[in-house]
Amino acid sequence: MEHRPFSVAQELERLLGDPEDPEAVFSHAHCLELDEREEFPAEICRALESWGLQEYYVPAEYGGRLTDYETVMQVMRVVARRDLTVAIGHGKTYLGGVCVWVAGTEEQARRLAGDIRSGLPVSLALTERAHGSDLLAGDVVGTAADDLDGVNDIDGIDGTEDRAGNGGGWRLSGEKWLINNATRGSLLSVLTRTRPEGGPRGFTVLLVDKRTLTPGEHYRQVPKIPTHGIRGADISGIVFDGAPVPADAAVGAEGAGLETVLKALQLTRTMCASLSLGAADHALRIALDFAERRELYGRRLVDLPQARQVLAGAAADVLAGEALATVAARSVHTLTDELSVAAAATKYLLPTGTEAVIAELTRLLGARAFLKGVHARGMFQKVDRDHRIVGLFDGNTLVNLNSLVNQFRSLARGWQRGTGDTAGAAGAFDLAGGLPALRPERLTLVARRGSGIMATLPESVAALRAEATGRPELKGALGTAERLLAVAGRVHEEMDTYRAVVSDVPPAAFDLARRYCLCLAGAAALGLWAHNRRAARAGRTGGLWQDAVWLWPVLDRLLVRLGEQDGPEPDAYPRLLEQLRAAGAAGELFSLLPLRLSATAPPTGTGTTPGGAVRESTGTGTTTAAPGAVRSGATTAFAHTDTGKPPAGGDRTSEGTSC
Amino acid sequence: MLSDPAVPGLRGEAAPTGTDNAAGARPGTDPAGTDPVGGAPVGGTGAHEAQESAVQARIADLEKRFGDPDDEGNPLSAAHILTADEAGELPRAGERLLDELVFNAEYVPTALGGRLDRLDTLVRVMRQVFRRDVALGLGYGITSFMAAANVWTAGSGEQRRRLAELLLDNQKISVAYHELPHGNDFVRNEFRADPVAGGYRLRGRKEVINNADRAAAFSLFSRTDGKPGSRSHSVLFVERDRLDPERFAVLPRYEAVGVRGCRLTGLEFDDCPVAGDALVGEVGQGVELALRSFQITRSAIPGMAVGALDTSLRTVVRFALGRQLYRRSVMEIPHAAETLNGAFLDLLICDSMALVGTRAVHLLPDETSVYAAAVKYLVPKTLTDTMYDLSIVLGARFYVREGEFGLFQKHVRDLPVLSLGHAGSAACQATIIPQLSRLARRAWFSGDEAPRALFSPREGLPGLPFDRLALASGKDSLSASLVASVDGLPSGSPEELAVQALVMKLLDELRQLQEESLNLSPQDRTALASPASFALADRYAVLLAAASVLGVWRSARDDGGDPFLADPAWAAAALHRLVRRLGRRPAALPPSCEGRVHEEVLRRFHERRSYDLYDTPLAG
Repeated sequence: MEHRPFSVAQELERLLGDPEDPEAVFSHAHCLELDEREEFPAEICRALESWGLQEYYVPAEYGGRLTDYETVMQVMRVVARRDLTVAIGHGKTYLGGVCVWVAGTEEQARRLAGDIRSGLPVSLALTERAHGSDLLAGDVVGTAADDLDGVNDIDGIDGTEDRAGNGGGWRLSGEKWLINNATRGSLLSVLTRTRPEGGPRGFTVLLVDKRTLTPGEHYRQVPKIPTHGIRGADISGIVFDGAPVPADAAVGAEGAGLETVLKALQLTRTMCASLSLGAADHALRIALDFAERRELYGRRLVDLPQARQVLAGAAADVLAGEALATVAARSVHTLTDELSVAAAATKYLLPTGTEAVIAELTRLLGARAFLKGVHARGMFQKVDRDHRIVGLFDGNTLVNLNSLVNQFRSLARGWQRGTGDTAGAAGAFDLAGGLPALRPERLTLVARRGSGIMATLPESVAALRAEATGRPELKGALGTAERLLAVAGRVHEEMDTYRAVVSDVPPAAFDLARRYCLCLAGAAALGLWAHNRRAARAGRTGGLWQDAVWLWPVLDRLLVRLGEQDGPEPDAYPRLLEQLRAAGAAGELFSLLPLRLSATAPPTGTGTTPGGAVRESTGTGTTTAAPGAVRSGATTAFAHTDTGKPPAGGDRTSEGTSC
Repeated sequence: MLSDPAVPGLRGEAAPTGTDNAAGARPGTDPAGTDPVGGAPVGGTGAHEAQESAVQARIADLEKRFGDPDDEGNPLSAAHILTADEAGELPRAGERLLDELVFNAEYVPTALGGRLDRLDTLVRVMRQVFRRDVALGLGYGITSFMAAANVWTAGSGEQRRRLAELLLDNQKISVAYHELPHGNDFVRNEFRADPVAGGYRLRGRKEVINNADRAAAFSLFSRTDGKPGSRSHSVLFVERDRLDPERFAVLPRYEAVGVRGCRLTGLEFDDCPVAGDALVGEVGQGVELALRSFQITRSAIPGMAVGALDTSLRTVVRFALGRQLYRRSVMEIPHAAETLNGAFLDLLICDSMALVGTRAVHLLPDETSVYAAAVKYLVPKTLTDTMYDLSIVLGARFYVREGEFGLFQKHVRDLPVLSLGHAGSAACQATIIPQLSRLARRAWFSGDEAPRALFSPREGLPGLPFDRLALASGKDSLSASLVASVDGLPSGSPEELAVQALVMKLLDELRQLQEESLNLSPQDRTALASPASFALADRYAVLLAAASVLGVWRSARDDGGDPFLADPAWAAAALHRLVRRLGRRPAALPPSCEGRVHEEVLRRFHERRSYDLYDTPLAG
């Protein structure tokens, strides 16, 4: 089926070209070099900007192309699949601007839109060295500047603006640390303590324009901090020292900063899914290529039962993540006032899910997950390192689970009474339906009526039950769906036993929240299936939708992760693995909807095609040395590749023994 | 890189396509032909005490020399180790320190002039190095130890003497099994040693070999017969100086994400002649020899790596106590405290398993093949998983490569090297899988329990029986100890009752495992085994871990050993964790268990004691 988010993503993918082509600006080889040198991918970002990636960070009403969050997610997934440093380094501008879209004035939004569209990096500065995710402890202080000299000389770009609130603006002091693009960003949304005593109403978001400040006097940058992954990203800090900030820099009302940030984070947390999806896509692709080519025990790895299960299980987890992320991104528009639930579940489940997928695939890849430059140039270890940041920023695992624990009562009640917005959920499920523009004022911190997505679970199971009548091939999926429904019931009962927990959340509650997320992912998957099962059968991914081929393993994996069964049900997976391999062979993304990956030639699916094996070994940008060069001292630049170099006097061909 | 190919496929035998009786038919593996090992430790009680204090003094000396990791002036501080890692080098001060101590003596049997008499001691000593730097532990010494294990097992008197001489001269020895195209399927390795008049001619490549650029000698796993199968390879012990420099070359260095200081290179030989006396053991004995020496290295190395998690836990405890979040210390957040307690329990579980694995080499050499595989499978995996849990508590700080948590981040990158993919955990499972049905038939619920000495950390041991390690076994005294414990378990306190209830669950699990193992199809006993068989191997390893924990607790209680280890609280909490790991939902523990464990976490932090079975005083 034609689906706009995928067609836009397809356009970008096509433009970016073959990531294995070392001549391409956005190639894997280039990204790995930058990572080694810890260099910001500036050239790649410029290429993305020439396509207009930054336009997707700006809502259409302000002249950008952000019409719906599902499209942004699929576009960013394309970028993240190639390289997370780029996605995180560039995508940060969206985070920098989002507070303004949520709570800013029309004028602020228009001005910021112009800056972003012109390619200016914008950053969001929340965390501090000593406080991490504890935003209420923030020590960056904005002092009212009424009685300070000089501030009136500095009023931003447009000095003629009427000032909102207190006339004179602020003097900003203190340090923000571990901030993505703190140095590169020209503008920063800074969460600032504007009441000395702090507290929930004591913070304001100030949109600080560094161009109006004097470096060295008003602020200094904390140098780039060396990081485990995304080594090329600008993770740094900034220390303000009495920096004058005009009154009209306040985003939203004075004192409303925390609320603004928490609402904005619902959007960014949902969008983080694109990073985890892209990383999982990439890792799965590398592992599949390896399994298709690797020979062990006289078989190809992909023919060994255990390896097949690992691949198929990972494939199912990826689709489970995609289903939840898709529904969550669409629910930004259709279930805005329940986003506090979907966003937290997505931000918890997608990063941890991808981490688990990567860990599983690591076991499959063995030494090649660890060595640089042997298989896929060592990109796997980069994906692994890079992706670990996704679970840490924008509210880590515990913060998100905690946010769900805080909503247990309303979620449990909503489940019992069926009060969640099921019509909104249907709008999120039905991919053919249009999405209304986001109305940010509808964002709330607590989903008072519960979750509409979860509330549809019984009806989606009923739809599957009806469909399964007389179709034995659906029995497996139906069985898992029925079990999931029963589990969801128990989970909600258990949630109901927790009274409003403010602090001292018992560890068991975190686990319960985790199980809630898995149930929500199941509800999302079933809802997507129920609403699109006919239309989606038509496209290039129709094989996944035929006989609910994707649904059964996805639900089965969720049950395993829920601790409801010891291991996977073996019958659920063979057809999914077929689809995974077919997508790989056809150069298609493994996804619920079709997207063709850019490549100069379709990649080999079999490992026996000489062209395929050669394709991987050539074009590394670090061509392999002739045996003689190695012998004569081993000092020349040399890349170890699986396929590159036959042993001295060996009789292997590169194809026969490739990775 | 660890070149331990973990499980091999003995084509037609153990791993890949073996039938059940093939294992027993292998030369030298008939359990009936193996002499029972005398359980009586050498020497009297006084001798053991002297031995134990000598070990403690050795460890204390090593700790003192490594110094305070937080002291910037210390050339072996965490910061300096990080700098070396960034530069892709082993810390020079560390190598120098170990050279000064002639640390290689730890790998040389006492009879040959070294200090190696017990594997559990080797683990304790090496742990102090791994505590600081996994790369130093591997790159300075462990690869030499792995190479040496082959020679100690089957080398001639002259080979042993010469190897001891080299090691005691602070030389490195490389172990060269690995060929990238074959990974753990090393029975298919292609590196050739063609028999020629007077010796062999070497031809081909060995890849990702630690220290190949600087080792004085190599243990080369070489094909001496073109035919497929497990009698086609031999081990050659080759000294670098005796090779024609025109006919071999060192391959360029491999870059890796972890253990960046390790010098991973490779070797390439081009019709390079070596003398016949390079052969270790017999022609065609290579696979068997590899499998025997793996039993030693697999048992020992994971326990060394426990040191890295120990340091990491200490780092996170310090963070949790010092850091204010949401207007209180992180330690006061129940989830954080639980994670730290859990990490400590994981350390105790891993160490119990490592203890039993290493002591079994001495006490139960004919049963070691399964235990060693279980240790190598479960311990590194647990260490990696626990590091992940701890990283959640650290949050974004874990991501920073410098400063207070830089070393934690380094350990996150370094530790996975111990359980590399198909080269590691799956391969170890594949050692276990073919033995499951025989154990189910002959061993479980029927054999004799293990000697109590298996579980006693500081007790003496008989010498290392390099020649008595069997490739497969039909016995399992460790599980038998679990079964036999039931009658004598105390049931006075709530903690003791909890242990009892958990042991009952474990017995259920063993029964279920037995049933499912009996039902394995012949195909399911090979590398082509179904995922369900791999899951069985996983559960079995967890059961062995539980039996180890239980044994350690009982032994400490009966012998009046360490008061914490003698307390049922930790045993209950550790078993609870393992039973949950098996997918069961045991009843909640008495809160006192968690409290006691937490108290110990804090005590050891404040008193600078190690988070393992030994409660060792630390320099930092």
